[in-house]
Amino acid sequence: MSAALLGIGIYGLSVKRNAIRILFSVELIVNAANLNFIAFARYMNPPHVSGQVIVFYSIAAAAMEAAVGLALILVAFRLNSSIDVRKLNKLKG
Amino acid sequence: MDLSVPPDITFVVLTTITLLAAILALQAKELIYGAISLGISFIGIAGFFVSLDAPYLGMLQIAVYVGAVVVLILFTIMLVRREEADKEEAGEGGEGAAGLWIAGLLAVSIAGVAALAGPNLPISPPATNLPISQLGPVLTGTYPVPLIILALLLSGALLGALVLAKIDR
Repeated sequence: MSAALLGIGIYGLSVKRNAIRILFSVELIVNAANLNFIAFARYMNPPHVSGQVIVFYSIAAAAMEAAVGLALILVAFRLNSSIDVRKLNKLKG
Repeated sequence: MDLSVPPDITFVVLTTITLLAAILALQAKELIYGAISLGISFIGIAGFFVSLDAPYLGMLQIAVYVGAVVVLILFTIMLVRREEADKEEAGEGGEGAAGLWIAGLLAVSIAGVAALAGPNLPISPPATNLPISQLGPVLTGTYPVPLIILALLLSGALLGALVLAKIDR
């Protein structure tokens, strides 16, 4: 299940041109990793909450990443009036 | 995971919802529907968390992802999309196949590793459950420094995002 989610995420990351969809893909990959952490923490014998703590941090980090990524998309759109990553090939605004 | 064990109904339903919504999130024509579908996928993952004895993280997942991230994405789509929605699907022919290959290979290899390790994996989780009250002491007692770093990082990222979005206004 987690592998399938990761596969979908990688597919989106490598194929899509829309920056927002690439952000979707990153979120899916992070979620696949989180799911693995929770599952392994639960199936450990004895179960331990460390996995949940790590996922706690990971969710917060992913939220930050989404905020900054969306701000970057906004700036890129304002500079370039496009969010197609193949058109974002100027280094000098 | 051993495939000879009959999977329970919760797992099947949650898997179906999550994976279908994830595929739809990337393939939906309209970006808004993609974002909503991403939210549904996150809700499915929250369901997994709850079914894996992590109800607190399930709530956190819904609050942060569905409540904050998806809404943020929706706002960005509203700000950005004027002509983007229609023309984005053009021109992903060859790379589509390559991406499918990469993703499929990765998923198959991970599944292969899981199948090789299958006999050594526990089939069912240990009977003892994780009390939610353990989370707080571990969070603040065992790992206090990451928590502080995380708080600083969060405020830094928030300020950074604000500065980025407000520049040359």
